[in-house]
Amino acid sequence: MSTDTGSGSATGTSSDRRNARTISLGVTDTASQSRSIGPDMFRILALGCALLLIASFVRVLHEVTQAVGGTPSLFALVVGMLLAGTLLARLIRPRTALLAALTVAGLGFAYYLESSGVGVGIVLSQTGALAADIGTLATGHQLIRTVEAGIWTLGFAPAPVFLTWYLALRGRYALSVLPGGFALLFLVLTGDANLNVTLLGTLAGLGAVGFGELERRGGSISQADLLAVLFALIIVLSLSVSFVPGGDSGPASIGATDAGTLEGTIDSAGERSGFTGQVDLSPEVRFTVESERPSYWRTGVYDRFTGDEWVRTGQEQPLDGPINEPPGDHETMQQLVTAETDIGVMPVAPQPLSVTDGAAQYAEVTSHGQVHPSTTLIEGDSYVAESAIVDPGHGELQQAGTDYPEHVRDRYLQQPEDTSDEFAEYTANVTADAETPYEKAAAIEHHLRTSKSYSLDVDQPSGNVAEEFLFEMDEGYCIYFATTMTQMLRAEEVPTRYVTGYTSGQQVDDTTHVVRGLDAHAWVEVYFPDHGWVAFEPTPSGERDDVHADQLEDAREDGVENVDIEESEDVPVREDDDDEDEQDERDPADPEEEDNNETNGDERDPEPDPDPDPENGNNGTTDGTDPGSDDGSDTGDERSALSLPFTVSRELLALTTVVLIGLAAGIHRTDGRKRLQHLVGLFWQRSTDNPDDDAARAYRRLERLLGRTHRARRPGESARSYVAALRDEVTGDGKGSLDPADDRIETVLESYERAVYGGGVSRQEAAKTIEAVDELAREQLPMGGIGADTGDGDGGGGSGDDSSENGDKSTCDDDDTTHSGN
Amino acid sequence: MTDADPPTDMVLETTPIDADEQTEEIDPLPLTRVESIGTDIEDNVARVIVGHESVIEHVITALLGRGHVLLDDVPGVGKTMLARSIATSVDCTFRRIQFTPDLLPTDVTGVNVFNQQTREFEFQPGPIFGNIVLGDEINRAPPKTQSALLEAMEEQQVTADGETRSLPSPFTVIATQNAIEPNRTYDLPFAELDRFMKKLHLGYPDPKDEAELLGRTVGTHPIEELESVTDRETLVRARETVSRIEVAAPVRAYVTRLAGYTRENAHIGASPRGTIALLRAAQARAVINGRDYVTPDDVQAEAAVVLSHRVKTNNRTRDGKAIVADALEQVPVDG
Repeated sequence: MSTDTGSGSATGTSSDRRNARTISLGVTDTASQSRSIGPDMFRILALGCALLLIASFVRVLHEVTQAVGGTPSLFALVVGMLLAGTLLARLIRPRTALLAALTVAGLGFAYYLESSGVGVGIVLSQTGALAADIGTLATGHQLIRTVEAGIWTLGFAPAPVFLTWYLALRGRYALSVLPGGFALLFLVLTGDANLNVTLLGTLAGLGAVGFGELERRGGSISQADLLAVLFALIIVLSLSVSFVPGGDSGPASIGATDAGTLEGTIDSAGERSGFTGQVDLSPEVRFTVESERPSYWRTGVYDRFTGDEWVRTGQEQPLDGPINEPPGDHETMQQLVTAETDIGVMPVAPQPLSVTDGAAQYAEVTSHGQVHPSTTLIEGDSYVAESAIVDPGHGELQQAGTDYPEHVRDRYLQQPEDTSDEFAEYTANVTADAETPYEKAAAIEHHLRTSKSYSLDVDQPSGNVAEEFLFEMDEGYCIYFATTMTQMLRAEEVPTRYVTGYTSGQQVDDTTHVVRGLDAHAWVEVYFPDHGWVAFEPTPSGERDDVHADQLEDAREDGVENVDIEESEDVPVREDDDDEDEQDERDPADPEEEDNNETNGDERDPEPDPDPDPENGNNGTTDGTDPGSDDGSDTGDERSALSLPFTVSRELLALTTVVLIGLAAGIHRTDGRKRLQHLVGLFWQRSTDNPDDDAARAYRRLERLLGRTHRARRPGESARSYVAALRDEVTGDGKGSLDPADDRIETVLESYERAVYGGGVSRQEAAKTIEAVDELAREQLPMGGIGADTGDGDGGGGSGDDSSENGDKSTCDDDDTTHSGN
Repeated sequence: MTDADPPTDMVLETTPIDADEQTEEIDPLPLTRVESIGTDIEDNVARVIVGHESVIEHVITALLGRGHVLLDDVPGVGKTMLARSIATSVDCTFRRIQFTPDLLPTDVTGVNVFNQQTREFEFQPGPIFGNIVLGDEINRAPPKTQSALLEAMEEQQVTADGETRSLPSPFTVIATQNAIEPNRTYDLPFAELDRFMKKLHLGYPDPKDEAELLGRTVGTHPIEELESVTDRETLVRARETVSRIEVAAPVRAYVTRLAGYTRENAHIGASPRGTIALLRAAQARAVINGRDYVTPDDVQAEAAVVLSHRVKTNNRTRDGKAIVADALEQVPVDG
């Protein structure tokens, strides 16, 4: 691009010429390649940083398009804008460019409004509402939750890309950071840009300004160390923010839960649901439900899958009036939900129709028909909800057909762009015999339940969770099963959504259900025309119940608080008391598990597992102890025994590197290395091959010593006149300070002079000189007396140079430590 | 008129220079001998001159360092006495020229005289032909006459009637000049000033020294009883020793930096001749101090007297001396 600007055509109007001159700023610098790292290099670095800044916010947009589609268009648009910026950099003035960018942005926005079915007219008619929308976005409504996120992205991207690159090419680096920075800031405010991307963008912006400034002022690379220090500082500061535990805020978070629990994972925030690896189950009671019949208690509905998390699109509306009823026949049921602890969700049986008037004003309803509290429910809060029970028979579902409404098709068939063909093929295989959507759902449900086993102790996969679980993992828990089933059904063009909530809990009497943290769950809802959303359960429930029941029993035995409420205390965890029998029956009887183990051993598991699954099974059957918890802890122990006692994460390594680089740059900046060398050199000197050098360096040490105890040598003073001047200046100083009249100093002076100005000194003389300075240096230490005595003894005893040298060194080191000890 | 000794005991060769003659090898004296010679002369001179030890030392280092000395002071402080006692201490030819306004160049260099007997012109050598030449009140002679000294001092030769004659070795001019009566004196040309290795000031003696001086000179003046402590040949060999003293690169660089400083900070700075003179003086001082190498301290000890008169400023308040003092303070000793 430098050639582009280099050929700057300066013909035409006066304004054109002015432009050409502005641009040629960088060009003249390019021409005068005076140094290897000069303005030319800084220009490249600054432009690189500008590109990086662009890349940072495009990356965020790309994340969106990856989930909802439109990546090629986005990239084409970005590349096109970069080209346009490059071309126009020398053709149009900044004002024109700004105008062009605004036009592009306006067009993009209009396009978005048109395609989301609102129409451009809204700009005129409902300016306030529009502004409110933008406000909503900027206060944390994630882009990914926007219904037409892809189009929004395409409308948003061009203007900042163009302006940033255009201004950077013109050498206006500080200005160029503005549009890019604003774009990034906006994405930060919406909550789409994560920490790393934000950090990258910030650093890139800083780099662009810094390097641009260095280019403009013709700085040298030695001045860039300041930038390095700033970089390191920013990185460390911003990363350390994430290490500081932040308080849970907002109604979405569940009280008393932390990130490691299953609840914390599936309801990490009201509008998104993530994944983790190993999770704990909280045995604490969350709420109780008085209901005629048991049900899963739904707390969240999610429609958009990004590959590593679920996102709920659309916004909440205040709950005023009844929620849309399911299209088909349904029964209704009433439930009284009482919070037993502070919770940020509103569990209801699907599909909720209404919430009692009193609680309604604190409730919001999402566009998916799920209710949410607008504030955290505190212990004792209760509400009555009415739900429609959609439970059609098999036959009805079989005949439901595929005549899905438009809005259902639009929203519930989404798959991440990077979903592989393999995934679809595999799904097609699984559903090969299935004809109707219901059969497909049943087939997939059955396949997952039988081919994967249940475990809370898994490593979080990277990449598309659904694919990873299907192809790479042998066990998982509800969120993996549900996610995979959702995605598989969507691959088969069946509208499906991912829902979270709690299982029915422990029934303590006819109508009371006690729901604990460990009942947290995720499952699947499939849409059937004329019926609405029907729940499916891909998680192997038997295994799940066992694991969860064990956890509860453990918690009860350990006397964990809040495990029970009054009514549930005496109720055993399992309906069937005969715990061991059940397990004995189940484990060997489960053919799938053995199947699974075989495949596991044969091909699936690439890494050697210290605790292979067959043994696992034995453990459970023979001991009859709790397989879930014990196994979990066993594997955990053995794993940690194999690896390091502490884990060095990549992030930590990177952070350490950054800190070290920053330190190095800072040391470079402050000449710290030299200072350190000086300090060390004061008390220790390595003898070299050149005795003259040794003598000279010994004198320099002496000079520094004198400089510390008296004053530094002035430039005009020769070695001898310096010492002589000190002798004159010194008036009876106390102990510890160096006496300039010392004979040893005279010795050092003489050999220094001879080494530097005369015919040189012998090796022996040099050693003697070093020794003299060593002694003098040691006497300066707080514990000097002792050190000096040993030093003298060593010096006198050792006849050879080397031996006395070594002896001196060791005592010197000792002194050093004593010194630091003080 | 010339106030020189009659040229009757003329033993000096005054023949024109023969090119081959100059390449005689001089055997240097051992370092310790030279050191003791310096001490001997110093002690000897101190018998006549009370106090002024550093000036005496400077004159001796100039003598050993092949330089000429200009003593600049008011009359009566012992300039001539110093020059005479130095000359007497060395057993060699001593000549004295009293410069007056009507002194002619030939009165200094010598003249071809027609010999009636041989019926040939004979060169009658002037008072410049001596080993130690005392030019008294040198600034009383007009520039024309002073210029006669130029060639002698720099080239150690004189040219009379187109014939160049070599001056004896060693050849040292010790000149005095009067700092008072400026309207009856001629300023020394800068070029001539530059040819003096050192310009020294005696100054009035300390009251204690002066009392001592009065006591000594009540009877016969001690100069009359002064005896030489060394001879011409020894001096030549001692000079050879001095000229072979090692000057390490850091010292040379330091001298260069000093000169550079004066050039940057004065109208006219120290000339290369000045830096050469400084090094020679420093060499001599190193020998006097018993060293066979020059240290920056030697340079610093000599710089003030060697460089000051070569530095000319336009600023009345800051003369060459101040500039050189600044240079010594500010120019770093180690590169």
